[in-house]
Amino acid sequence: MSRRTLSPERPVENVPVPETQEEALRLERPSLRDWTDLRLGWWGFVRKNLDEPMPPGVGWWQTLGNLLLTLLLFQFVTGFALAMYYAPSPSSAYHSVKHLTETVPLGSFVRGLHMWGSGAIVVTVVLHILRVFYWGSYKKPRELTWVFGVLIFNVVLGFSFTGYLLPWDQKAYWATVVGTRIAATVPFVGPDLLRLIRGGEEVGALTLTRFYAIHVMLLPASLVVLTGLHLYLVRRLHIAGPVLPQKGKPVPFFPVQLFRDAIVVLVGLGIVVYLALAFPPAIEAMADPAGTDFTPRPEWYFLGLYELLKIVPQGYEVLATVVIPGLISLGMLFLPWLDRSPSRHPAMRASIILAGTFVSLTIGLMTLKGVIETPPPHHPPAAKAEAPTPDGTP
Amino acid sequence: MCECQNCGNCENGQKKVVSRRKFMAWSVGAINLAVFGAVFGPVLGFLGSPLRHRQMKQWVPVLDEGALGEGETKEVPFTVRVKDGYEMVDRTYVVYLVRSEEGIVALDPSCTHLGCRIKFQADKNRYFCPCHGGVFDNRGTVVSGPPPKPLVRHAVEVREGKIWVQRSV
Ligand code: HEM
Ligand code: FES
Repeated sequence: MSRRTLSPERPVENVPVPETQEEALRLERPSLRDWTDLRLGWWGFVRKNLDEPMPPGVGWWQTLGNLLLTLLLFQFVTGFALAMYYAPSPSSAYHSVKHLTETVPLGSFVRGLHMWGSGAIVVTVVLHILRVFYWGSYKKPRELTWVFGVLIFNVVLGFSFTGYLLPWDQKAYWATVVGTRIAATVPFVGPDLLRLIRGGEEVGALTLTRFYAIHVMLLPASLVVLTGLHLYLVRRLHIAGPVLPQKGKPVPFFPVQLFRDAIVVLVGLGIVVYLALAFPPAIEAMADPAGTDFTPRPEWYFLGLYELLKIVPQGYEVLATVVIPGLISLGMLFLPWLDRSPSRHPAMRASIILAGTFVSLTIGLMTLKGVIETPPPHHPPAAKAEAPTPDGTP
Repeated sequence: MCECQNCGNCENGQKKVVSRRKFMAWSVGAINLAVFGAVFGPVLGFLGSPLRHRQMKQWVPVLDEGALGEGETKEVPFTVRVKDGYEMVDRTYVVYLVRSEEGIVALDPSCTHLGCRIKFQADKNRYFCPCHGGVFDNRGTVVSGPPPKPLVRHAVEVREGKIWVQRSV
């Protein structure tokens, strides 16, 4: 007799009545697999996900979500490890990071994984958003999948902003001084908002504990919930096929798509591991509010915003700090309702495609400009050629 | 067999009373609200405490008066003991002192745009901000770039041969 597996397709009440003594014994002492399955329904869950139908035409572009999931897992593990060596106070933060990087075995590698992993997440999340955008996969009934995705994106940016401060070196300190000052430009409530974020007037001990608590408690918890909802919806609504349906029958997720996912995860993580080894994380001089030889610069993916700040006319910085980023965020959040066209075909929603492409290209180019023009630390540029007036006064 | 749920919705001539069911539903809602408030009320008040912070002024001697020549601009570091959250620390700040016909002016070195640390270039007699290209003249007036306001001036006094600067803490 073949082995019986109990899976949710076979409801619990239908547990067979043993016919022979031998069978009675077997049911009394089931295999571990049967035993757990009867209680957890685990194998049924796994099977259901492995059999998830993929419409024909689903391929490499649909592997980015799983890469993100794996990278997130890495962040949780490496972040947990780092937290075990980290002390969030201005007098110890810097030394604890220096210690774990320079003295603790593999410390530099683990910190490198966390650092390069965060960059990889930003890159992958952007690619994932672009692919969903061009495929029009955010349309009915997947609007909320998209909305949870946009919230996740904001959480990811929050992670990098709060994480950047934690080493408490010059780079961390000054990027946070400038970054938090952006809040002060919000009309009416700006100064209060700044104080709330900093935990006081200046960036100091209370800013560090605030950022730390947000980075290791609030954001991970939000991310877990949001990612859970996102994935639940991805499975519930199934993946959208290509814009123009292709011939053929849906294929199960396992093995072909899972294989693609595995290859992409291998390559993605390979790159992160390589970067962590080849470019180990640095730590600069300790934060010094009085230091003069330091040019503040944000994490590279905020450089687009940094460039924007340079070009808005004097007195209108609220455009660069609040209005433009705010409009882009709201536009992303409500995209499924801004795009009224029922068709997913790019030609049928040309204005949205053009607007999205324009915004993405602009952000990309500004970021590139920032990367090229922002000087590395400790090499302050000679002040820009400012036509000197003969007597040195205006 | 049916039993009247006293839902109050029918016209069977029954008194309009709040049903047991409704009463309990509302109670659960109210209790949930109270639990929610009991957690988030205190926590929000606790986290919002920086809003109640009051600024205080403090006079600090920073330089011998004789050390600042006529028409000179000096970058002067000074150290004060400040309360940083839960700890007292010695923190070094910088002020730019300028002596001109209008007397001594003390300029704060934070760019009024987004707070980067400005630097004085003696040969150009200007302050340059390394971040987004703000430029100020030697009295702190904006010459070019995004800064919306002139550099912040601290109150200055000369007492017993020393230059004192008033800082807000
Ligand atoms: C770290 C965060 C994220 C994770 C782990 C994640 C994960 C996934 C996974 C596994 C899928 C299945 C198909 C695929 O991989 O393409 C998916 C689909 C999707 N994602 Fe995400 N995602 C994340 C962030 C985002 C963001 C930021 C957005 C949008 C702003 C987004 C919007 C969508 C949409 C609309 C789909 C459905 C696509 C379809 O049905 O074709 N996701 N996501
Ligand atoms: S902070 Fe000085 S120009 Fe922006």
